[in-house]
Amino acid sequence: MVSTDAQIWIAAFFTIAATSYAFRDNVVFKFAENTFIGVAAGHAIVMGIKNIRDYGWNHLAQGEMIYIVVFILGILLYARFHDKYYWLYRYPIAFLVGNGVGISIRAAIHSDFVKQIAQTTSPLIAADAFGTINNIITFVGVITALSHFIFTREDIHTGTLGWIPRVGRWMMLLAFGASFGNTIMSRFGMYQGRIIFLLRDWLQIV
Amino acid sequence: MSVWEKLTAVPREVVMTLVVLAMIIPAIRPLGLPILTGDMSRAWYNTVEQLPEGSVVLFDIGYGSGGYPSLGPGNIAAFHQMFEKNLKLVIMATALEGTMMYPLIMEEVKPEENYGAVYGEDYVFLGYIAGEQTAMAGVLGDLKSLVSTDYQGTPISQLPLLENINGADDFALVAYLTTAGGVAEGWVYQAYSQYNKPLLGGCLSMMTTSIKPYYDSGQLLGLMDGIKGAADLEFLTGHPGDAIVSSDILSFTQTLVLVFIAIGNISFWMTRKTKEEES
Repeated sequence: MVSTDAQIWIAAFFTIAATSYAFRDNVVFKFAENTFIGVAAGHAIVMGIKNIRDYGWNHLAQGEMIYIVVFILGILLYARFHDKYYWLYRYPIAFLVGNGVGISIRAAIHSDFVKQIAQTTSPLIAADAFGTINNIITFVGVITALSHFIFTREDIHTGTLGWIPRVGRWMMLLAFGASFGNTIMSRFGMYQGRIIFLLRDWLQIV
Repeated sequence: MSVWEKLTAVPREVVMTLVVLAMIIPAIRPLGLPILTGDMSRAWYNTVEQLPEGSVVLFDIGYGSGGYPSLGPGNIAAFHQMFEKNLKLVIMATALEGTMMYPLIMEEVKPEENYGAVYGEDYVFLGYIAGEQTAMAGVLGDLKSLVSTDYQGTPISQLPLLENINGADDFALVAYLTTAGGVAEGWVYQAYSQYNKPLLGGCLSMMTTSIKPYYDSGQLLGLMDGIKGAADLEFLTGHPGDAIVSSDILSFTQTLVLVFIAIGNISFWMTRKTKEEES
């Protein structure tokens, strides 16, 4: 029994319209694409206004005058559209970049550098055989892949030790393969969700 | 044109039709393949199980409609487990569309009906907070200076759950599900590195290879690997949903892809060999 819910029918139509591109570009796909962009843009505008109200205006209305600075910086972002005063937009951009870097850089060094090096240099022998194999693969992979990016000495790539960066290249290719495989699974994971929706919620045959 | 040459140029319409059929057949006639739960999902499940009753969890819905088929089922299973454990949930969204995913998830979880949970006392939804890492730093640093109302506009002073929550020290666990690499890394930077909070992460399968090093190095206590991780969590929590239904479909479709890859490679080598022999 096919669903009688109008919302389900609309969702089913746009699901089929969006995926029809996989077969060939067509006007129904274009309609779905433009509708999605319109809806997403509308939603983004509403959420943007809500953010200004919740995280800016509400504070200002409660007497937190420092938020005037926030509004001024926000308005200055639009100066880039002005022929004469476009340079003013650099101030909020500088603030945003400085703020973003300041918030993340210490933690990034800790998480991406210190912790990863510590993990790589941990003892190769683990509690179980698979753990030991994993540790050895990680250790060999890191050393050989790093050697692939040493460009200051040509003989590292051509001499007796040339096999080390070659192993590194294979390690990276294996990593790219794993990444590609995961990407396929991820895309199918998204699409099968819509297939289940079509079969269960729309056509109601499963 | 030889058979091998034809096989290297199968029209995409044929490939897509076969893929769609490979999804429809196991959906209509499930194969019932066994689910082998992975370490990362079990670690997620066990971390939540070990939390004392009443602990407060900060949960980020960091995905939109595109990520819902992959992450939504895992989100539903995670909420079922958390409400069953009587944990308190402070939910936020670092994705713009996260606010639209929240009602979809709650329609499935039904916290009031299934667990007797009360909005404002057992869980709250703060809505979308812009800024990614800036938002995370704000929520963990000084929640009340950043957020004055929940998503519906209710002042946080009227939400009993938030009465004693000011920042990172008041959260027993931080968890997130996201389709954005910046958000996945951002929570590691802000929650783990900055505040040393126990952290659970979930992402699309395509992101797993870049996020897994955080799990391997102990910065993430558990990792939900897309729809596979969601199926694991549904199985572990005893709340089967879309992800478990998807398992058969994914297995069937992935096998088809492997067949395509094999055919593509064999036909490529055979075509080259034939040309070499001819020349």
